[in-house]
Amino acid sequence: MAICAVALLGCEKSPPTQFRLNAVEWLKLEKMNGEKLDQGYKREIGDLLTALFGTPDDPDFPFLQGEEDPAHDIISLDNLKLAAGPVKSDKKGAPSGLYREHCAHCHGVTGDGAGPTAAILNPYPRDFRLGKFKFKSTPLRVPPTNHDLKTILKEGIPGTAMPSFRTLPDEELDALIDYVKYLTMRGMFERFLLAELPGLDGASYIDFSLISKSKEGEEPSEDDVEEFEEQIYATVGTGFQEDILDRWLNPDKKVTKIPPAPAEIDPTNPSHERLVLEGRELFYGKGNCAQCHGQTGYGDGQASSFDDWTNEWYTPETHDDFVAIGALPARPIRPRNLHQPVYRGGDRPSDIYLRVANGIEGTPMPASAALSDREKWAIVAFIRSLPFEQAVDQSAKPVNEKQVAR
Amino acid sequence: MGRVWSILFFLVPILAIVTFLMAMYGVTPLETAWLPKSFSDAGDTIDQLFNGIHLLSAVILLGTGLAIGYALWKFDHRRNDKAAYFHHNTKLEIIWTIIPAFILVFLAFFQMKSWTENKMNRPTMTIGGEEVVRPPMVMVKAKRFGWEFYYAGADGLVETQDDIYIENLLVLPVGEDIVLQLESRDVIHSFFVPELRLKQDIVPGMTQFAWFNSKEVGDIEIICTELCGWGHYKMKADLRLVSMADFKTWLEEQSAEYQPEVAQLDQ
Repeated sequence: MAICAVALLGCEKSPPTQFRLNAVEWLKLEKMNGEKLDQGYKREIGDLLTALFGTPDDPDFPFLQGEEDPAHDIISLDNLKLAAGPVKSDKKGAPSGLYREHCAHCHGVTGDGAGPTAAILNPYPRDFRLGKFKFKSTPLRVPPTNHDLKTILKEGIPGTAMPSFRTLPDEELDALIDYVKYLTMRGMFERFLLAELPGLDGASYIDFSLISKSKEGEEPSEDDVEEFEEQIYATVGTGFQEDILDRWLNPDKKVTKIPPAPAEIDPTNPSHERLVLEGRELFYGKGNCAQCHGQTGYGDGQASSFDDWTNEWYTPETHDDFVAIGALPARPIRPRNLHQPVYRGGDRPSDIYLRVANGIEGTPMPASAALSDREKWAIVAFIRSLPFEQAVDQSAKPVNEKQVAR
Repeated sequence: MGRVWSILFFLVPILAIVTFLMAMYGVTPLETAWLPKSFSDAGDTIDQLFNGIHLLSAVILLGTGLAIGYALWKFDHRRNDKAAYFHHNTKLEIIWTIIPAFILVFLAFFQMKSWTENKMNRPTMTIGGEEVVRPPMVMVKAKRFGWEFYYAGADGLVETQDDIYIENLLVLPVGEDIVLQLESRDVIHSFFVPELRLKQDIVPGMTQFAWFNSKEVGDIEIICTELCGWGHYKMKADLRLVSMADFKTWLEEQSAEYQPEVAQLDQ
């Protein structure tokens, strides 16, 4: 009997996969407002997002300017279709549903970084909806290039649960890159809509009644459809186009140029040691690295900060309320232990240079605007020498050095 | 038992051995049921041992099958008197203990050379007229769920500043003794390359070494063969075996990424 019941249940079709509302952002709004918000907006935001971005099984993208839309350079619908949907392969063995096969178990179907395995990982998987990416060749507040995202997919992020997907063919990686950008922009637009919400004063974002007349057997008139589209454009034209889409156009043009390094960067160069010592001075002095990474470089300096994904909602008083609705428990962000040769954004000198020069988006790691090129490279040389036994003195400087020197 | 049954019973070892031989020699539809092609001499030796043990088992299975089949046929209860029951025959028991024991001891000694070569005697090299064990060319760090590879850079040593790091792709030259240093970042993993007949568990906290010498160029796979968590199935890496010249070019390309463009910079 029980087996029959299980068998019957097993045959029942599961409901279609759906995107989840940004519940954390919703609760944050309620806390800010000091009162419950109208639940009807949840549905309205969902409808609006579905109208523009489709569903996880049938993704769409708001190409507002039709064929001419510059967004075609950022996102290809074919790629989205390849990455979206349930995991399957056709008769020829060509796969689809790549995102759900490779990514969704950690990053979540919505890209909220809260998939089924997320809670057991440290660090947590990335929530794309904030639109911030850590390891990229572009400066702060500029999105990553396709090349940056592909590097992450190919090389993984050492020291985290993000593995390398190098064994996948290139076109599948391209599809996943577009899908990640799609989830990012969808998430950003959802946040934009939520931010608009308090200003609506109880009105609708868009008058859906204009096109929902068909339910009563009546086709919406052409005027109504036109007005509806205009309304969508009004909402999206300002919010989506300017705040979100334009940022993602041509990040390649904003890539940070890596200047040539001093020849001493080569560890076999006789003056290499001097450069390392120069870097060491900067680490404790002008660069101010030791403040967070610790006097010894073990990452034990400032250990009570949070990253932006947590800072978005975290306060000690409301922490538990947010966790109750699905936010992952807040964890302080750890400055990197520089004595382990594990570098999340890559271990090449040029990778570390970018981290020093541009900082790391979404974290307390700042961009080093005050340092000269040579000084940045000197820090790179020092950092790269730290994990390995060296002739160069690496011991911590006495904390009272300045007083002693006086 | 009827004669039909004795024939059916007799068919069991026959069918088993026929299937096994078909798989071994790649007869349709069992072309892919046997081991993949071996890529190394050590792998060939292991295959010979493996096949030898299988053939021995086949002979034993056939022998016992024939004996039982014959007994079923010959002593069919409808055609014979009621059987006499007796037990204990010291001579027989000694024989059936000694013969298998002899076979097992023979196998233990017979495989010893292959075992020491593949698991105990790490390949050596001559440095300054002195024979020393070969240092690892690559350090492999197994993690949930992927493989990290750290190539010894120009200094020929791993765990130094000039290591070259790459994840999930191992490129190595053929015709060369390759030593790998295996370590785990978290739980027990197992490094398995079926084509090289190479399998080594990786235990956290232990540093282990594995070695091989491939004679074939080709693209094969490294898989984890110790259940290490929910993503175990996807813990795979590509192993690309190439000629020494191609390997050197590839490694130079990789190491070039570690050398930023240099210029004279002011202080």
